[in-house]
Amino acid sequence: MAAPSVNISVEAAIEHQIQEVRYDGQEIYLAPLSMSENLSKLAHKIDFYKDESEEKGKPTSEGEKDTDEEKVLAPFQPSLWPWDSVRNKLKNSLTEISVLYDVLNIVKEKHYMVTDPVSQDPPELKASLQMLAKKKSLVAAAQLLSTGAERLKRVQVEMTSNTQDNFLMELLKLRRNWRLKKVHNTILGELSYKSAGSRFWQGGTFEVLKTSDLAADGEVASRKSSLDVSIPSELEGVAYIQVEVKTVSDLMDLTSATLKMPAGLGTVSADAYWQQKLEVAQNVLFCKELFAQLAREAVQVKGTTPHMVVGNQILTNVFPGIQLSIVLCHYTGKEKKVNLAPHKLEHNHVLEHSLHQLLREVHDRNLNYSPPHPANAMLGMSKRRRLAGPRAMSRSELVEMVQSESLLEQILKQTKHAVLRIRTMHVIDQLAVSIQDPQICAHWSCLNSSLESSVRITITSYCYENCKTLLVLLIGIDTIKVVMKDGRVCTLLFENSELRDLIQWQICQHHAQSIQSLAKMQGWQVLSAIINSGHGDMEAYGTTTDVMLASPKGNVILAFHSNPVSGNKLAIKKLDPSLDAHISPAVTASKWASLAGDFQEINLNQLEGRNLVGKIDMLMARLTSS
Amino acid sequence: MEAAALAPSLKNIAPQQEYLLQGSILDTHRDVLLHRLRGLCDNAERNFEAFSDYEAVYVLRNSSTAQQSQNQHVTFRVRHALDHSDAPDHIRYLGQAELGDRSRHTLVRACLDVACSSNVRDFLTEMGFRIDHDYVVKGHFFHKGRMKVTVYKIFRLIQPNKTDPHNLEPLGQSHLVELSVVAPLGQEQIGEDMKNFAEQLKPLVLLEKFDHRKIQ
Repeated sequence: MAAPSVNISVEAAIEHQIQEVRYDGQEIYLAPLSMSENLSKLAHKIDFYKDESEEKGKPTSEGEKDTDEEKVLAPFQPSLWPWDSVRNKLKNSLTEISVLYDVLNIVKEKHYMVTDPVSQDPPELKASLQMLAKKKSLVAAAQLLSTGAERLKRVQVEMTSNTQDNFLMELLKLRRNWRLKKVHNTILGELSYKSAGSRFWQGGTFEVLKTSDLAADGEVASRKSSLDVSIPSELEGVAYIQVEVKTVSDLMDLTSATLKMPAGLGTVSADAYWQQKLEVAQNVLFCKELFAQLAREAVQVKGTTPHMVVGNQILTNVFPGIQLSIVLCHYTGKEKKVNLAPHKLEHNHVLEHSLHQLLREVHDRNLNYSPPHPANAMLGMSKRRRLAGPRAMSRSELVEMVQSESLLEQILKQTKHAVLRIRTMHVIDQLAVSIQDPQICAHWSCLNSSLESSVRITITSYCYENCKTLLVLLIGIDTIKVVMKDGRVCTLLFENSELRDLIQWQICQHHAQSIQSLAKMQGWQVLSAIINSGHGDMEAYGTTTDVMLASPKGNVILAFHSNPVSGNKLAIKKLDPSLDAHISPAVTASKWASLAGDFQEINLNQLEGRNLVGKIDMLMARLTSS
Repeated sequence: MEAAALAPSLKNIAPQQEYLLQGSILDTHRDVLLHRLRGLCDNAERNFEAFSDYEAVYVLRNSSTAQQSQNQHVTFRVRHALDHSDAPDHIRYLGQAELGDRSRHTLVRACLDVACSSNVRDFLTEMGFRIDHDYVVKGHFFHKGRMKVTVYKIFRLIQPNKTDPHNLEPLGQSHLVELSVVAPLGQEQIGEDMKNFAEQLKPLVLLEKFDHRKIQ
């Protein structure tokens, strides 16, 4: 206790407290607290967590000491004076100190009480229980050790068999061909064509797995590769686009719009090499995108013939009676094995390839804009579009510029061309087989595009090849342009018969021309040659070609008549020399007088010679001398 | 652009904004950057797309109020490609650059870019514009989506109005790298994309938004 003589004054320092220092250095002070304010502030700093309720019972147990205290306490209690709790606290601690003092006294004096340390019973030791516990902890430790050893061993095995290296090497190989990225502990790859310009919504994220990890889980014992990929379920399986051009009745054949899945197309086996797996999955994605694009266009495009989208099939009319069907075949291996009757697949590989090519072109266009020049020009415009402003292009020119063909339209055009080309080929081949005289020979140009090809047809007679008729057919999308020997051009539609008629008509002309050239060689005179003669009977189609010849002596007149339908006819007329006297002055030679009159038909079949031209050649040679 | 959409767009042209990030790289390290860009950008399978442009800056000063508004002027930039004679000239107006706060990653400025015929210079001169300065830029161009990346060097013309190669003097030891997108107003996503792209070039070149007023 402090000596009572020393006085300690409790009061605040006279310094003014700084409330704020401004940026210019000026200080703002607080006015100093008054004595009472200061006291109450200090009082508030004391932690009054102990309640007075504890003290209520205490004064009674304390005895005489508290009696005089109570007198002091009584008047203040109701008024909750700020010092009230401080006083309570002090009183409390005083009580505790006195109690402690009493206890210490009692212990020290040892008159009434002796304190001894209490001895506790040692806990019962059960040998079996202890052993069990020890055993248990040992087992746990052993387990830890053995798993650790297992892992070490596996790593060791991996090191010796180089599978670890293999995994890394394979990862490197994978990285060369595919886009990979690391997300936390997994390696994710991307197999979609997004980076190549595709804008298809479906993603193609795959996960790279280490097979040794799988093996540890007891999943697969042995694998060829130490790297495996897991492919999203919607891209599993095998897919392709089946393109079929078929002949149907005039109406669209809706019954064929069913899922057709060739049984021969299997799934990828589970332990296939990752590269193959990824490629197949990528192809599935590509086919899906292609089909989605085509289906969208089929619905949007307002053509003259509506396109139909039924399930996984798009149907459209190419020509009347010819239908193009594009089917997305996606075989995941989960479908029921439907025993399809061996459906004869007329899959058109060329058109399928074209479809792939077309979509890739779209991708390429998405990615590669024409570079802007100068460099601050707008990106994503074509070169022509940039010039549209300075060249003041008209609205129609601009509209023309933005029009682009959809994939479906393009493939339809290619299909039309392919159909037309095959039809033309058939017609020419049939004619070449059925007509032996003259010979028809077709040279197909090897340089053709998917929308245009050309063929040159040569018509010759055997042994008389110096006289030939040439035809060039330019096969377009749905028309054939024919350039004839004399330079005339005619355009044919897609019907087979038009071409057949034209070639037969050309054969007639070929005969007539061969005979004319024979006449020149043999010294005969051509009296008249009409390509499209109106004479003769009405025929089903085609026009007649007529040639009239006079022998060098002028005594024999030959009339040749050739028609695609009624065939070739040859007539002869021998002049009677006695008629010479009747010639009028307008007729200069006797041969002119005999254009009309009685002709006798010659049976061409009984003439000698290998073919028509040869027969007539023989006849002319015989008649020249007569 | 659809044909039908042309007519309304003529009535009120949507204000275009240029989002821009700039940086520079030393000449010696330019090739490394070019290869990096080639790997990152879309036209990877093609060769580097080079460009060589001549740009002249025309200024029309406001002469009526001489004293108080000395810096009130209109600037037009006319550019044409030296290596593509068939490409049209371009006239470009750039607005005041807005740096924005920290949340905006790129510099944004109004941008009008119009292709025009080659007599635009005469036209501007007739209108009272005077040539302020001109230069030649040569470099390479890349694109990633709608982001345009140019790596180029500025050349000074030793004699005015002659753009043949021996009349050009390179400025500085480095190439300028610009990442820009021209897009309609209010597409804040672009800034995010550009920042991500700039991150990928980080050790080679730091693309930042520069306040041109501070440099001047």
